[in-house]
Amino acid sequence: MDAPAFLNTVERSGLSTWIRESESAFAYYFVLVIHNIGLALLVGACGVLGARLLGFVPDLPVAPLRRFFRFVWAGFWLNVVSGVFLLIAYPTKALTNPIFYVKLVLIGFGVWLLRRIERELSSDAASRDVVPAATRSLTLWMLGLWLGVLTAGRALAYTATYILYGKGT
Amino acid sequence: MNFDHLHLLLNHVPIIGFFVGVGLFVASFAGDNADLRRSALIIFAAVSLLTIPTFVSGVGADRTIAREPGVSEALVQRHEGAAMLGLWFVVATGAAALVALWRSRRPAGVSRGNLAAILLLAAIAAVLMGRTGNTGGDIRHPQPGAAPGAAIAEGTIGSIIHLFEPSPDGFTNLMVVNKWWWATMMVMHFVGLSLIIGVVGAINLRIMGFAKELPLAPLHRLLPLAMAGLGINVLTGMLAFIGMPAYYAADIAFWFKLAALMLLGLNVAVFYLGGIFDRVERLAPGEDATLSAKIVAASSLLLWFTVIISGRYIQHFEDSLRF
Repeated sequence: MDAPAFLNTVERSGLSTWIRESESAFAYYFVLVIHNIGLALLVGACGVLGARLLGFVPDLPVAPLRRFFRFVWAGFWLNVVSGVFLLIAYPTKALTNPIFYVKLVLIGFGVWLLRRIERELSSDAASRDVVPAATRSLTLWMLGLWLGVLTAGRALAYTATYILYGKGT
Repeated sequence: MNFDHLHLLLNHVPIIGFFVGVGLFVASFAGDNADLRRSALIIFAAVSLLTIPTFVSGVGADRTIAREPGVSEALVQRHEGAAMLGLWFVVATGAAALVALWRSRRPAGVSRGNLAAILLLAAIAAVLMGRTGNTGGDIRHPQPGAAPGAAIAEGTIGSIIHLFEPSPDGFTNLMVVNKWWWATMMVMHFVGLSLIIGVVGAINLRIMGFAKELPLAPLHRLLPLAMAGLGINVLTGMLAFIGMPAYYAADIAFWFKLAALMLLGLNVAVFYLGGIFDRVERLAPGEDATLSAKIVAASSLLLWFTVIISGRYIQHFEDSLRF
């Protein structure tokens, strides 16, 4: 099956061409750098929160850790924006790869779980510093999902069928 | 860029460092001198960090001298094989030393078994670094009377060690022969990056005054997660380098990343050995850290982000260096 024609239209647009073909250090690789920093903020902060919620350091108070959600969401939105730019640069490459859709679904579940965990930590029960078993299993799922997002994202570089419209690998 | 000179500048550090380190380490057992032992462990960690640019600059040096007449390719290959074997023992000793330094702060301390393991690793590393130095010296100063291209004469010890040495080109091909192996290494590198930046970031931000309600000590106890991340990334990073040595050596962003990592070593040394950690270790909820601690924490964060950013720019700066 041929890829839909609108992918070609996006690819030929000035912005897409510039991100992809500019020799500037502030084009494609700059967007990738932002995407990488977003990943570091999101997964890094999730890792610290997760380590506490899974019981690695029980004497670390939970309530102030909520502040680290700021970095989680900053990383998330950085990656939504930089991800859109990456998609504009290589629409065919991403949208013809099933793994891209797997990644989006995993992100959806990951965000949903993060919001649930954030809500649970905002309730009064969280100030007791004892993490309920249910929250712990949510945390495991949450960490697993973001690990999956990271892996799927990396895999996009190795599994593309097309690099550009009409140009297979 | 003259990697030949950089390599000559650095290449005595691992050899002398490990021989001095092993000497101090052995001496520390006589009379059970804890300070001496700590010094030896610090030397192992610092020298193994410096062994990374030593190893990496060797590839640049190889490309430089390969053009010169009278340089035997077989001798260069033997030296690279020796380095590729020794590197892992050096890095493993450094990692084990860091773990022992971490454990020595706890009441339980470091067990005899752990110390014996470090001694064994360090002794092997010292011998292999000596061998690497010898084989490297032979490149410029071949044995008298040896005709160019003649078979390499090995001593008894050399020929035994040589059995374990990888063929440099074989090792390189092994890393790049399968794209899924490469993809796996890159995924691991990103996971390691997240572990490091998460834990180191949280500790540094707390010192800088973010989320002050957190006491520092329990937060700092997450550091083994960051150390695991560092271990993963040194391992996958060195394997990736061995997979495409010429590609990385000719890349300015790669050297920038390496420089930032060396500065991070300095940063860690200032933090833990300069007395700063002792002052922030028991930082209670709401308590402010000293200005010097905040500066060291901020520079650590800045350097880690430099590492991430320059690492991501490696592809963009492909072939940016000529040598």
